[in-house]
Amino acid sequence: MKFKNWALVATCALALPLAACGGSDSASTPDTTGSSSNTDGGSVFVTGSSTVEPISIKVGELAGTDDGGNIKVTVEGPGTGDGFKKFCAGDGDITGASRPIKEEEAVQCADAGIEYVELAVAIDGLTVATSVNNTAIECLDKAALYALIGPESEGFSSWADANTLAGELGSAYTLPDAPLSIFGPGEESGTYDSFVEFAFKSIAGDRGTEVIARADYTASPNDNVIVDGIESADTSLGWVGYAYYRAETDRMKAIAIANDEGVCVAPTDETIADGSYSFSRTLYIYVNKAKAVENPAIGTYVDLYLSAAGVEQVVAAGYVQLEAAEQQSSVDAWTARG
Amino acid sequence: MNGLLAVADLSGDPRRRAHDRRMQRLLGSSAFITIIISALILFVLARGSIDFLKSIGWDLGVLRDSSKAPGWFPRRERFDLITIVMGSVLMGSIAMLVAVPLGLGTAVYLSEFAPTRVRKILKPIVEVLAGIPSVIVGYFALKFIAPNIVDPIFSPDQSRNMVVAGLAIGVLVIPIMASISEDALRAVPSSLREASYGIGARKSTTTIRIVLPAAVSGIVAAFIIATSRAIGETMVAAMAGGRDGSGPRVLDPLEPGLTMTAAMTNAAGGTDQVNSGAPFQVLFFVGLLLFMMTMGLNVIGDRFVQRVRQQY
Amino acid sequence: MPIVTDSQRSATRTQVRQAITQQNRHLPSIALSVTLLIAVTFTLLTLFSLLARIVTQAIPAFSERGASFLSGTIGSEPDKVGIWPGLFGSFAIGVGVLLIAVPLGIGAAIYLEEYAEQNRLNRFVVVNIRNLAGVPAVIYGVLGLIIFVGWLKPVTNGGTVVAAALTLAILVLPVVIITSMEAIRAVPMGLRDAGYGVGASRWEVTRDHVVPYAMPGILTGTVLALARALGEAAPLIMIGAITGLLPETSLSGKFTAIPMLIYSWSGRPDSSGGNIGWSNAAAGAGLVLLALVLVFNIIGIFLRNHFEAKRVGT
Repeated sequence: MKFKNWALVATCALALPLAACGGSDSASTPDTTGSSSNTDGGSVFVTGSSTVEPISIKVGELAGTDDGGNIKVTVEGPGTGDGFKKFCAGDGDITGASRPIKEEEAVQCADAGIEYVELAVAIDGLTVATSVNNTAIECLDKAALYALIGPESEGFSSWADANTLAGELGSAYTLPDAPLSIFGPGEESGTYDSFVEFAFKSIAGDRGTEVIARADYTASPNDNVIVDGIESADTSLGWVGYAYYRAETDRMKAIAIANDEGVCVAPTDETIADGSYSFSRTLYIYVNKAKAVENPAIGTYVDLYLSAAGVEQVVAAGYVQLEAAEQQSSVDAWTARG
Repeated sequence: MNGLLAVADLSGDPRRRAHDRRMQRLLGSSAFITIIISALILFVLARGSIDFLKSIGWDLGVLRDSSKAPGWFPRRERFDLITIVMGSVLMGSIAMLVAVPLGLGTAVYLSEFAPTRVRKILKPIVEVLAGIPSVIVGYFALKFIAPNIVDPIFSPDQSRNMVVAGLAIGVLVIPIMASISEDALRAVPSSLREASYGIGARKSTTTIRIVLPAAVSGIVAAFIIATSRAIGETMVAAMAGGRDGSGPRVLDPLEPGLTMTAAMTNAAGGTDQVNSGAPFQVLFFVGLLLFMMTMGLNVIGDRFVQRVRQQY
Repeated sequence: MPIVTDSQRSATRTQVRQAITQQNRHLPSIALSVTLLIAVTFTLLTLFSLLARIVTQAIPAFSERGASFLSGTIGSEPDKVGIWPGLFGSFAIGVGVLLIAVPLGIGAAIYLEEYAEQNRLNRFVVVNIRNLAGVPAVIYGVLGLIIFVGWLKPVTNGGTVVAAALTLAILVLPVVIITSMEAIRAVPMGLRDAGYGVGASRWEVTRDHVVPYAMPGILTGTVLALARALGEAAPLIMIGAITGLLPETSLSGKFTAIPMLIYSWSGRPDSSGGNIGWSNAAAGAGLVLLALVLVFNIIGIFLRNHFEAKRVGT
């Protein structure tokens, strides 16, 4: 009779979630569904910055091979801030960050009793870019950027609108009378945080304004949209991670940034690695110590992350590797985690 | 045994009756689950909205950004509702500009003009279109409508904009417009058409002067329900609208824009948030607003559908 | 010698027919027909260009990758990714919808059509179901995020495929109920009367006569609901589907689904090198989703037509 079967089906419906939760913690339970591998090296869950995500994915892909230890690495990239929120709530073995942990986030972690190791893994340069057709602009200083994109620039629709403010701030540049369309990542992005810090923090501090960008620029969390925007308008202005710039050098032109001595420095692998290009930042991963003790797969994954093969992935993902000494200090910090 | 039946005998076996009552309770409870679902939706949205209003200190001023460049900037606590409502309305209007002529035209053709053989092929095709998932239409917007239609005709600054998203949402609601209108047209009794032909009217006259006016409430219903779907559409607006998360108030449809739905998915952040604060909680507030808007439209639309049913 | 020749007779006939119909010469008639044909053509053209775009873009993904595109996992390189985690997630969601929404939906439909009295409460239930059917998917996502990911975390283990299946089951429940109600309503009264006449209880009549008779219609609703659930992405964004790296698939861990992959991949840049870009990978996933959804839809349409044909016969 059909309806006996239905009763069975209904019971199954109720039993399904129960059976699913029977597996307790997914991160530590070996699981054989899905992809096939000979030996099971355990599982790691990485959350955090979408900037660090490509590296974690590449290292994770490597860790999934026989040579890498057959570790199943799950990676998501909700953003640095959201990543710390999850990490400090005990969710996630590792979180990526495009800036060091903030004090309030550290307090959250401490309150939850979560101890972590901070490891620098790569350097990311921010690239301020314009269209390849824009021949008028080669180099800008912080004052000009503050005048163009800073909190006091709302409503400026031409580059020249920023001249008064730029002059007031002592900028060495006179901006052309050309339409200004600005593209950048949204406020939820670590790349936004870093940009406003690099470009505006000192000036905003002097002027008593907030360290934020103007609201009326085209913000998108999708770097591809930003690159499209910078490419499509002739006198565009925008900023992206160096990785995206290097992958799309034919679609946009990097604007060199004048350092405090007024010398223009363009973003290249060398200037970023040696620190002479001022718009660069270190990328980190934070590892949950207790979970790493519990789950050896985390250790294997982090070892791989810091190894020569891991550094290759940093480059493959479009970032710049740390200088040898800094790389060594990350390895030391990891070894000394206790 | 004298062969007489008592009334009690006619009421049947008590065990079978008990089983019948048990089944009634079981089936009834599954029907009432839908009430619980509605109550939960309202509860979750209302509770979140109250949390949101508390976080902004009941300062409703932030819901209307009056700065020099007003817009929807949740992480700056500038929640300009006009921006996202206008985004939804603009994209919805563009969608209806596409869906009304194409959907209604298809419906009239199917119901009044198409030979049976053509109808038998065409109707399932329209239904196939109705079944296409919105992410696929979103892909179509990005990889076809933007580069092959909108860019060459309007040459916008950015290839993802409200026109692209609006056209694609239009594609998505054509079948809704077509199928509800067709139902209404077919519900018009053939006696009306025959009377019209009988006094010598042409087919075109009959269609325009007799059939369409007779079906008008159904067509209005189709329009309202399709509008509600267009405003509630998420994926196409998020993929092709050109903005996610924040954006200024814009009127020009060739500019990128933000809908209520796209603002919601972005506030949720794409992962299970351990999130807090007004920029996250606004999700519930916008959700409540969207829920009210679509429900209002659906209720009105349903009224019109009922009217068609009662008339004929 | 006939008074009227054949040719004269034929000419008269033509003349009279034209005078009566005037179809060919009447401008508004032509204009209306042309307008309608344009509308229909545009509608068809849209559908075909959509399908053509997906298919042509998807070809590289399948011709170069073959089965590994189906069995591989998601990752960072468009020419190496596969959709297996998405297939698993979508399959699990489909099963969840079948197990939860279908029995609940059919049960509710039976109650409302066969048992419920015409009172205010029951009318409210029906109106409420119609409203639920029109609630945007993204709002069901909010519900899923709070209830299934949050409150029911002990059961669902957070943002897992179980939470996704529950959310989408609730999303399609109104569709199942409404189509099943229509199917049950179409069952001739005589069938029920005959059952009661021989002393069957209401449940026995429903079980043995009404539901089997309405089955094709109910199946149609089920299949359409399944297709809808498989194509939804907005609630999954809210719940937190993974688009980065997901080498293992389980009911209790992180998940993804095919619509999420299409959403994520179609936003990624198509770098020049390599034969398969992200748009090809997205189209490949799109083709798989379309195939699944269309197969379900066509089964549904076929069942319904079959059902209608049978109804005419009775």
